[in-house]
Amino acid sequence: MDFYKGTLLRIDLTHAVATPEPLNMDWAEKYVGGKGLLLRYLWEEVPPNVDPWAPENPLVVMTGPFAGTNVATAARVLVGCKSPITGILNDSYSGGSFAPEMKFAGYDAFIITGQSKEPVVVTIRDDVVTFVPATGKYSGMKTSEIEAALRADFDANAKVLSIGPGGEREIPWACISTDQYHKAGRGGHGALMGRKGLKAIAVRGTGMVTVGDAKAFLADMYRMQGENVLIPENLAQNEEGTPVLAQIMSDAGIIPTRNWSTGTFEDIENINSDSFLKIRTRNRACTQCAVACRQFHEAGGVAGEGPEYETIALCGANCGMGDIEALMKFNHACDELGLDTISSGSVVALAMDLTEKGVEDFGLHFGEAEAYLQAPGLIAKREGIGAKLALGARALAAKYGRPELAMEVKNLELPGYDARGAFGMSLAYATSDRGGCHMRAWTVGDEIITGVLPPDSLAGKAAHVIDNQDCQAMKFTGIWCDFWAAGFDQMALLVSRLWKREVAEEELRTVGERVWNLGRLFNLREGVEADTVPPKFYAEEYAHTEGPAAGKAIGAGALHDAIEEYYTLRGWDAQGVPTEAKLAELGIDVRL
Amino acid sequence: MISSKKCTGCHMCELACSAFHGGGFQPSRARLYADVNPTTATIKGRTCLQTGCAKCQEACPNDAIVARRTTVAPKGLFANGDKIGDSIDGYVLMVDEDKCTNCGECYDVCSTNVIHEHPDREIAFKCDLCDGDPQCIVFCQNKYVLAVDLKVDKADRALAEA
Repeated sequence: MDFYKGTLLRIDLTHAVATPEPLNMDWAEKYVGGKGLLLRYLWEEVPPNVDPWAPENPLVVMTGPFAGTNVATAARVLVGCKSPITGILNDSYSGGSFAPEMKFAGYDAFIITGQSKEPVVVTIRDDVVTFVPATGKYSGMKTSEIEAALRADFDANAKVLSIGPGGEREIPWACISTDQYHKAGRGGHGALMGRKGLKAIAVRGTGMVTVGDAKAFLADMYRMQGENVLIPENLAQNEEGTPVLAQIMSDAGIIPTRNWSTGTFEDIENINSDSFLKIRTRNRACTQCAVACRQFHEAGGVAGEGPEYETIALCGANCGMGDIEALMKFNHACDELGLDTISSGSVVALAMDLTEKGVEDFGLHFGEAEAYLQAPGLIAKREGIGAKLALGARALAAKYGRPELAMEVKNLELPGYDARGAFGMSLAYATSDRGGCHMRAWTVGDEIITGVLPPDSLAGKAAHVIDNQDCQAMKFTGIWCDFWAAGFDQMALLVSRLWKREVAEEELRTVGERVWNLGRLFNLREGVEADTVPPKFYAEEYAHTEGPAAGKAIGAGALHDAIEEYYTLRGWDAQGVPTEAKLAELGIDVRL
Repeated sequence: MISSKKCTGCHMCELACSAFHGGGFQPSRARLYADVNPTTATIKGRTCLQTGCAKCQEACPNDAIVARRTTVAPKGLFANGDKIGDSIDGYVLMVDEDKCTNCGECYDVCSTNVIHEHPDREIAFKCDLCDGDPQCIVFCQNKYVLAVDLKVDKADRALAEA
């Protein structure tokens, strides 16, 4: 079998047993891999309405079909589950080298079920799987420590997925780390892994991924690299990386600043791309990627990859923190503890806001570094203010009677784009399939960067958001990285190799739409909340009073109309349920 | 040689090497390696130094490692249109498959641990410079810079000589 290995490994933590089984190739054909295959397996494996913390809720690790070859950027790994934060689907992607190693070991996916009686580490060397007790040895280790320990104890070339102390204490937004700095960040997969007693998975693979005529494929991909990948629009990620967005978003008035109280940060020059270029030491790459977008920085005694834009926004501007060394240290702390930075920054900023408004004194203040730097550690230990902060933004704000101060959608804290300055993002956030996320539709691209769409209108945005979502859904099945601005034409070229026949763009549009609709069905089955965004984005009373977005409010009515238009264009009914006609058209093989 | 400063740890060299020689992607069976510590971003590359080292040739009791004249002429262009490199004349150490008995002496002495027993046959296998167009160099596309470079190292004097 070419590309796929045709095998998944079912890891039962309750009984400490690992069993290989055939990958469902009918599903692989329909849903390709990555997000598509994940959702089909989640539909099957997640007991309807299961408590996401229960042992029956599986954690799935999924590869894309091109992992372990030289297809550019396609080495990303996907971790998916019914999220303990949102109660709906969460597909979280990470770079690094883990997915190729899974393929070399012989696996397309892991399905992790049950709950271990005692904390364990699972090691996998090709077909040999071992459950190693973690207590007294690996438990409590930070990211750098667990990775080094497993390279020393198991295999010098082992690739590791791990949780830090944050995941072990089941902090709701605990993430999974790999290659130290790469994170399956959002949705609490680390917390679920912690609940399951799984500290880490280490994989070493010595097998082969075949593609048919290897020499021809090599040459083909070489040409594609030169023509489509190593071009200026992608190489911008190598040269500056996502920090370049900091200045752009602040100038556009949409960087969340001091708990979303304004959209321009007066100290942005200290944490913008120019400031990070001054402390940059080198670039790093994921496996099989020549873009090498990972920026390594050194400041204040801390060295490491990142921060990316989202961290600069939520842990920097949103906390009023214009101190680059403090930001580096906060990022480093979250890295080592295994905590998602978007959620961490959001919760800390909320606590700062509650303190400064005199609602509750957490000892945290915008722009004040000392207590800010203590926060990640306290959260991970649930100690001091950490015990309350670990509630997450929605619950924390509600506890103190200020729900309007929590900026989240479906209980997933929002990333770094204020929809008051880019109206399309309100629709993107409201209709995202995993809650407050910009990775499914990013209207900022055309509303702010290229400027071809007006940022202060929702007219025509529904169609735009749908197009984005379907394209991303398709992209996430092959797990091509966002930093390859690949369109349907380029994806079709690659899927032609996979399916060994001519594949038209239209066919892939359908796959994307199919995957998106399957996700919607899953969410409806699991009781997804209504699609909306916080009132701060649409209500007149919360309009910005300064900056490019001053005086602009989306309006509840306009938002409602846009969501209705979205449902209609998608072929869903007024409640946002895909119609039978739409499901049949897309060839989806499951129903509510 | 792999430049530890320029190398980004993308493993494209290992992927290309293994696919070119073995018919599929299998970096554990490449003939060069980039060992990456992800935490410190320390990258240690291991390539065959050919006659600049030749410990395998010295250790072989059967004269099964032979030096052959070769011209390495990397083909292709960087993304910006520059040539990847000029051609170099030198020597490559080749395994004589008729004489190799898989005794393993070379595996033990190799200074970079890049000669091993062939997975399917009982002989040694190592870097053969791909008939003059090393695939590791072709596929090292770290933006505009090569991490795998034949000319850089003093130890690789055999290839630097005419």
